[in-house]
Amino acid sequence: MLEHVYLIPLLPLAAAVTLVFLGKEGPHSKMPFLSVATMGWCLLQSSAILWSAMTGAAHLPYAASMPWFEFGEYPMSLGVLIDGPAAMMLFVVTLVSFLMQVYSIAYMHGDPRFKRYFAYVSFFTASMLGLVVSSNLLVVFSCWELMGVSSYLLIGFWFEKPGPAYASKKAFITTKVGDLGFYLGMLIIFAYAGTFDLTMLRERVAMGAAYLPAHAATAAGLCLLFGAVGKSAQWPLFIWLPDAMEGPTPVSALIHAATMVAAGIYLVARTYFIYQASPLAMDAVAWIGLVTAFMAASMALVSYDIKRVLAFSTVSQLGYMMLALGVGGYSAGLFHLTTHAFFKALLFLGAGSVIHSVHSNDMREMGGLSKKMIVTFATMTIATLAIAGFPFSSGYYSKEAVLGAVYAHSPAMWAAALFTAAMTTFYMFRLIFMTFLGEARDHEKEHHAHESPALMTIPLCVLAVLSVCSGWILEHFGLVEHLFGLPSAVVHGAEHAAKAVEAAGAAAEHGAAAANHAAGHPASHPAFLVPAALSAFAAGLGISWKLYASGDFTTATKIKQTFGPVFTLLEKRYYFDDFFLFLVDLSDRLAAACFWVDANIVDRIFVDGWGLVTILLAEIENFIDAVFVDGLVDASGWVSRQAGAGLRTLVTGQVQEYLLYVALAVSVFIIQMLTMR
Amino acid sequence: MTLYHYLAVSAALFCIGIFGALTRRNVIGILMGIELMFNAANINLAAFNRFLHPNAVVGQSVSLFIITVAAAEVVVGLALVLAIYRNIQTIYAEDYNLLKG
Repeated sequence: MLEHVYLIPLLPLAAAVTLVFLGKEGPHSKMPFLSVATMGWCLLQSSAILWSAMTGAAHLPYAASMPWFEFGEYPMSLGVLIDGPAAMMLFVVTLVSFLMQVYSIAYMHGDPRFKRYFAYVSFFTASMLGLVVSSNLLVVFSCWELMGVSSYLLIGFWFEKPGPAYASKKAFITTKVGDLGFYLGMLIIFAYAGTFDLTMLRERVAMGAAYLPAHAATAAGLCLLFGAVGKSAQWPLFIWLPDAMEGPTPVSALIHAATMVAAGIYLVARTYFIYQASPLAMDAVAWIGLVTAFMAASMALVSYDIKRVLAFSTVSQLGYMMLALGVGGYSAGLFHLTTHAFFKALLFLGAGSVIHSVHSNDMREMGGLSKKMIVTFATMTIATLAIAGFPFSSGYYSKEAVLGAVYAHSPAMWAAALFTAAMTTFYMFRLIFMTFLGEARDHEKEHHAHESPALMTIPLCVLAVLSVCSGWILEHFGLVEHLFGLPSAVVHGAEHAAKAVEAAGAAAEHGAAAANHAAGHPASHPAFLVPAALSAFAAGLGISWKLYASGDFTTATKIKQTFGPVFTLLEKRYYFDDFFLFLVDLSDRLAAACFWVDANIVDRIFVDGWGLVTILLAEIENFIDAVFVDGLVDASGWVSRQAGAGLRTLVTGQVQEYLLYVALAVSVFIIQMLTMR
Repeated sequence: MTLYHYLAVSAALFCIGIFGALTRRNVIGILMGIELMFNAANINLAAFNRFLHPNAVVGQSVSLFIITVAAAEVVVGLALVLAIYRNIQTIYAEDYNLLKG
């Protein structure tokens, strides 16, 4: 199975191309089933790979490549590199994509561009899978860009509406800014290490300063981080993700919750050896993650759009993963990435189910839907418990792992992360309470509300099961260690890893394979971590219950009035959008000013002035030409004309005159001959 | 009778001939003047032969050639005159001015 892993990205690509060019477009097109079937096959293959990776049947990392082209003296290879995280990501991406496509058959049915939607989704999935498996950083970058394109296409899927059109542009341009960082990072890496192949790169980086000196590692790490910041919607480039919710909801579930935004995290994890070589870059990852997690969670507190809340929550959770990676909790970050993909996809698909039913995004117009939509309510509640870290749900394990890793690095950061976790619990339950509990606030909408068809609820149930048990399975069977453990050879080089090893010392007696990885194992941390997390959960749930569960929001409104400026700040998203617009405006004005200088000074003086000088020179030259040169030409003409006029009087046509001239000439010759003698 | 007498006659004849050729309006007359110049040359040749190299006949033979050639020349000349006359109905040389510049 593993040797045919290249099929996993290529088959959806083929499906996408087929869907684009073949078959009939229409609201009831049968072509999407091809896409779903392809993804089903990919899911089977990925599951087989993951299973063999879990059981240890397959020896990871598995790498295979073929020559691609020669870049001067540097050979480029096209290949796959499957390690534990890649195997897990393959499974997650294909699973979420498959479920989301099944869900979309019902959700998008009747859309005039039904076929095209699936073509885009297949194309996106192919790009993402290509990114996951590729062993060459150049291919990773290509897939990264292709994902940007497909994300653009899918956010702007309803491009005839102004909102999605604007949002797709915003998302594309913002991520593009980040892509610049990725590209620069790649160039730095190539300039120093001379290869794009991840395996070779890892070896060369491990050799230390001979290939990648510390400052270069820092620069490369920061640049790659900037790329990840753009793609994973981290601070300060998080502004595009909330707007990306203009796309179809299943797309949000696939791209902007479970997979594409995870690509940034995955990239950092994939190039983790570079960060290990640079403590500064590592700290930057951690701080960006923390800031993002906190800010996004706080913005989610006040949003009324059900999808926006989830979008902010996604940003916040991605920040968590970044934070985990940054503090050395490599496996904790990837663990959270996996579990988050399940419950966040579930939340989005559930939100899609709600929106499908009530035709509104605004939570203020919902309420009391639990009676009408029991499956959606149940599954979304499970996902909410998971994201909030309810004991023994998947989020509980992964969040504990993250928090443990953070605590090992810095208790202050841990406190901030814990506060963020409390906020997460609060806003997630606020969402559940406002949507499903209380009395219906908009009776007409409530009246039309109904449970979604089975095609939509079955994926919800599958994801709900995974949201509950994936954490336990991964944790209980030691798969977090097995799949997400760092290769030990690299660990020794870096300071952070050394710290991790130190922390692991305490855990050594537990007998776990914690030698190269301590962060993320709850048992290795102080005992108060778990109770602290649980009390944060309880606090968030309690406040949320008090304010929103009854359907009576008077207390909430009162608080909002008391802290008006704070709410405005949060609702305006810390004015980051305005800040970026201001930057754009500023550059616009700067460009206008430069244009003015160019048009009025540079053009006037240099261009127009030079033209004037040229005209003057030309006038002078013209004068000389007309008077002197042409005079000479005319004079020569005049002379020959006059000479001709004089000579023509000799040519009379009278033969006898000619004869006379001959006679005269002969006479002259004779006289001369005679006199010369 | 010395060589000079012959030469004098010859020169006179040549002058008469060239005068005729230069001044006659009639083309026939011009041709006649040319004939006179030929004959002046013939006299010279015969005289030089007689007085300078009496035993040779080179000069006289050349004279004979010239007479023959002159006859041929006159034929061509008269044929030209006839051809021109047929075109422009005149034998006056001043009217033959096609070559005028």
